[in-house]
Amino acid sequence: MIKINTLTKNYGTGAKKVQALNGLDLVIGQGMFGLLGPNGAGKTTLMRILAGIVNASSGSVNVGGIDINTEAGKMEVKKILGYLPQELGMYPELTAVQFVDYMAILKGLENPAERRKRVDTVLNMVGLSDNANRKIKGFSGGMKRRVGIAQALVNDPKLLIVDEPTAGLDPEERIRFRNLLVNLAADRTVLLSTHIVEDIGQTCRDLAVISRGQVIFRGSPTELTQAAAGHVWNLTSNTMEKPDHGLTIVSMLHLAEGTQYRMVGESASDYIDAQPVQPGLEDGYVWLMKNAGHAIDTL
Amino acid sequence: MKRFSIKYAFKTYKLDQLWLPLAIFLLFVLISLFQMDTPQLMNIARSYLAAVVPLLAGILAAYSILEDPALELRFATPIPAIRTLIERLGLIFIIQSAFALFFQAVIKIIGGDFSMYQSVWRLQLAWIIPTLSLMMLGCSCSLLAANSTIGALMVGMVWLVELIARGWFAQNFGKYFLVFMGPLMPDHPDLFANHVTLFAISSTLFLVSMALLEQQERYI
Repeated sequence: MIKINTLTKNYGTGAKKVQALNGLDLVIGQGMFGLLGPNGAGKTTLMRILAGIVNASSGSVNVGGIDINTEAGKMEVKKILGYLPQELGMYPELTAVQFVDYMAILKGLENPAERRKRVDTVLNMVGLSDNANRKIKGFSGGMKRRVGIAQALVNDPKLLIVDEPTAGLDPEERIRFRNLLVNLAADRTVLLSTHIVEDIGQTCRDLAVISRGQVIFRGSPTELTQAAAGHVWNLTSNTMEKPDHGLTIVSMLHLAEGTQYRMVGESASDYIDAQPVQPGLEDGYVWLMKNAGHAIDTL
Repeated sequence: MKRFSIKYAFKTYKLDQLWLPLAIFLLFVLISLFQMDTPQLMNIARSYLAAVVPLLAGILAAYSILEDPALELRFATPIPAIRTLIERLGLIFIIQSAFALFFQAVIKIIGGDFSMYQSVWRLQLAWIIPTLSLMMLGCSCSLLAANSTIGALMVGMVWLVELIARGWFAQNFGKYFLVFMGPLMPDHPDLFANHVTLFAISSTLFLVSMALLEQQERYI
């Protein structure tokens, strides 16, 4: 269990001060947990604090009974941590098996035979056994991500933190990756940070939405979806003018009879042809962000 | 717990950090061979040991920590800062030492004479002390500025100023901080004090680097 209380993180001082986290409160249990939010919301900062890389300015973080605000606590958490950062750097001249083996050594896996067995196991889990002895520099983006998750798993972590893991992956890789994460969440806490709403909807039963360093929603994907009930419409128009009046266009589709807009907002009473539709998770997210006063750029 | 591997320390070592010292080593060997029967031979030998080895080591040390492509992953492991420093700086020192020792052997074989240093131990101290000093300067400055290039520039600046003004340094209070005293002025009466001071500064800078590296968020 992860307990986060009034967590604040500031970067810089004076006029250059940026508040990345602003009194964030959150409790995360075992299983798959999604962290959703726009770019710059503070997700990566939160991930890095949980990984013991970044220090909080104030507030407390407790990971499985370990206080992460102390140096000793950070070291303890790192022993039970698997971490896949957003920007994954590797040694291109190493093979996949060498890279994961090296990370295993850094994580304290001493026994060479046991370590080798564990390295083989995790490479097999991510489907890289056939390419284990190829140099990383020849890997595709998806394969590199898989090496990244293999190194994160090599110490059999109780807490797995993955930051934007599906960014840049093709649809097939994304599906494979999501399924892998769900499998891993059976017996550990997996914290998935992303701005891709679909990834959360497909994998998490529990999620939080962060905006401007604060939690603005905590619940299930279904609850987030239902928050937009009565606030989503389809409108088909053959004029060039896009709908406005405080409505956010979530998607556009060019049809034979005109352009179909999917819109989220308080009211569509200005458009008599607008048809109310069932909301999806993305609609719920857009509605939430609108209510939080977060500007959403549309086409 | 074992969190260090010589094998991977070498495998994750950037090849350009090996080719550059090797190329310069070969260049100086070549120049020495051309000058083997002239009085210039020992000047070339001293230049390599006194100036080139420390400068290269200092610049490589400046780039050794922050240019690690897997720095964020490394930070997420329970490996203490001192291990990272020893792994990265140790390797640079070992490689530079190997070149320095090979070079001494080459000079001896072609007729060079290091007797001005009075003993093998003093000869080794003559390049080890400046090498360690500039390595620690480069490493600590790059960590302090969170920028490898600034660390390398500081090394270059100190090296250049002390090399040009070594006469002035040797005759004033700066004699304790002159990194070239060992190799270029082996008879200086304050050589021992100079070595002790530079070693103390190097040790302090190592501790400073360790403290700086523990502030991981400054580097990601």
